[in-house]
Amino acid sequence: MIGRFKITASDIGSMINALFSGKAVAGELVAKQLVFWWIRLPRCLMAILVGMGLSVSGAVYQALFRNPLVSPDILGVAAGCTFGAALGLILPGDNFSLIHILSFGFGLLAVAMTVAIARLISVKPVIVLVLAGMVILSFFNALLMVLKYFSDPYDELPSIVFWIMGSLSRVTWNDILVITPITGAGLIFFLLMRFRLNILSLGDIQSKSLGINPSLFRLILIVTSSFIVALTVASCGQICWIGLIIPHMARALVGPDHKRMLPVTALLGAIFLLAADGVARSISTAEIPVGIVTALTGAPIFAFLLYKNRGSGWV
Amino acid sequence: MGVILKCRALGFKYGKTQILDDVSFEIESGLFYAILGKNGSGKTTLLHCLNGILQPDSGSIEIEQQNIATMSRKQVARQMSLVPQEHLDVFPFKVLDVVVMGRAPFLKMTQTPSAKDYRLAMEALKILASENLANCNFNRISGGERQIALLASALVQTSKFMLLDEPTNHLDFNNQYRLLSKIKELCRTRKTSVIATMHDPNMAMLYADRVIMIKNGHIVAAGRTEEIMTTTNINTLYETRTIEISTLGNKKFFLPESAVAGLKINDKGR
Repeated sequence: MIGRFKITASDIGSMINALFSGKAVAGELVAKQLVFWWIRLPRCLMAILVGMGLSVSGAVYQALFRNPLVSPDILGVAAGCTFGAALGLILPGDNFSLIHILSFGFGLLAVAMTVAIARLISVKPVIVLVLAGMVILSFFNALLMVLKYFSDPYDELPSIVFWIMGSLSRVTWNDILVITPITGAGLIFFLLMRFRLNILSLGDIQSKSLGINPSLFRLILIVTSSFIVALTVASCGQICWIGLIIPHMARALVGPDHKRMLPVTALLGAIFLLAADGVARSISTAEIPVGIVTALTGAPIFAFLLYKNRGSGWV
Repeated sequence: MGVILKCRALGFKYGKTQILDDVSFEIESGLFYAILGKNGSGKTTLLHCLNGILQPDSGSIEIEQQNIATMSRKQVARQMSLVPQEHLDVFPFKVLDVVVMGRAPFLKMTQTPSAKDYRLAMEALKILASENLANCNFNRISGGERQIALLASALVQTSKFMLLDEPTNHLDFNNQYRLLSKIKELCRTRKTSVIATMHDPNMAMLYADRVIMIKNGHIVAAGRTEEIMTTTNINTLYETRTIEISTLGNKKFFLPESAVAGLKINDKGR
């Protein structure tokens, strides 16, 4: 297990052994056991869950909006979530579920506003959607700045700032218990819809003539993926780029058919975030937020993918 | 040849603009119908209403005595397929993956296409003599090959009734004729009813069994191609003056008078 606090594979072996045999561990292993069961393990599980959730949500967004350049970040859902969660942090009372609810509500509101603006303009849907997303993103970022400006600079402001950077360091078993069922159910639902996603990615007219009601499916799928993203942002802050680059990597590996592409996206997303989190907590003595690592690696990877796939029809 | 579709007093408004008004016609099985009209005359809207993509404001459409308003979208999709005018490319699907999407109305919500569905898709490509396209990237093939792939997808969906929105759009000179010949062949061999919107009256002249002329949302003339395609009707439809050119085998063709007048001046100049 990677990290500043060294736990070897044999340590883990004896811990698991101790768990099953019911005997208590002794000596140095006591501290190691605490770190492993209460910090490292939930954190790794969270990295896997969040990596899968964000990357598959990104893939679903890209299929629904028929646009390979959208992700929950670009359509403003993450900005909305961040604002909602910051509002939750500032409001009196330290309430985990309030932060979650506000985060989710504002995330969904942001996406709804983006889609509504794009619908109103209704020419060149692909470009307008991205532009509308930028409008909403800036709007919520401005609102976030208002919150920051009026927040208490010694207590609330740092908590907002650290929280925005995105980190898995706050993860507890409680978060895992909340996120596992919802992300899991969402992922299973997306997998079941794999062929529908192929058809929806052809556009409304084609979907309708193939007997599918695109607006209904789009609504259900957007709500589900926004829910996953909102929950993630509420417990880990903004972890950028995963929703955008991982689906592209998966598509480059196994093609655009969601039947194969979604599982590969989930797998790659989990591996990527697990690795990024490993880097985040071992690169320096003080851990750096994992959001910084994903952004620093994600941006150049995306540029490379754009270059490599030029002319294949998705840019 | 029985009537398989009846369109009665169809009306459609887009906002306050009346796009279609009191449009009525019947479609017999196994025939090629061409819809002619100027840009913005309501041709595409009519196709979309027939297929239930757009809800008409008045009138009714019946497929084999059943009103499509009472049918689910899936049921309609099993009866008729549509090749839309524009296909926007998104993800680099393989041609076979695009063709097999035509099986969607026959699959349950969570099903994916089976080996049998892929076999049907492959057969559709074979019927159009294009099985070599199966593994190509749909975004990278030519416009003509794309039309063939989309036609194959529609064929996999149902060969009973096909709606084609300007099928020869973006096709080069030779491909236009090849595609329409293939569509005509489907009418003859598989008793497919085809309704195609078209821009070129001479194409309709060559391939259509019946012609429906639409102007400002009204039908101005409809019936057998050879009876309907007259200079008078074409002049009214396009608000221009055309002349008729007869060729061997009594086929008639039409050209705008202005274009031909230009030719005559050139001839004199020589």
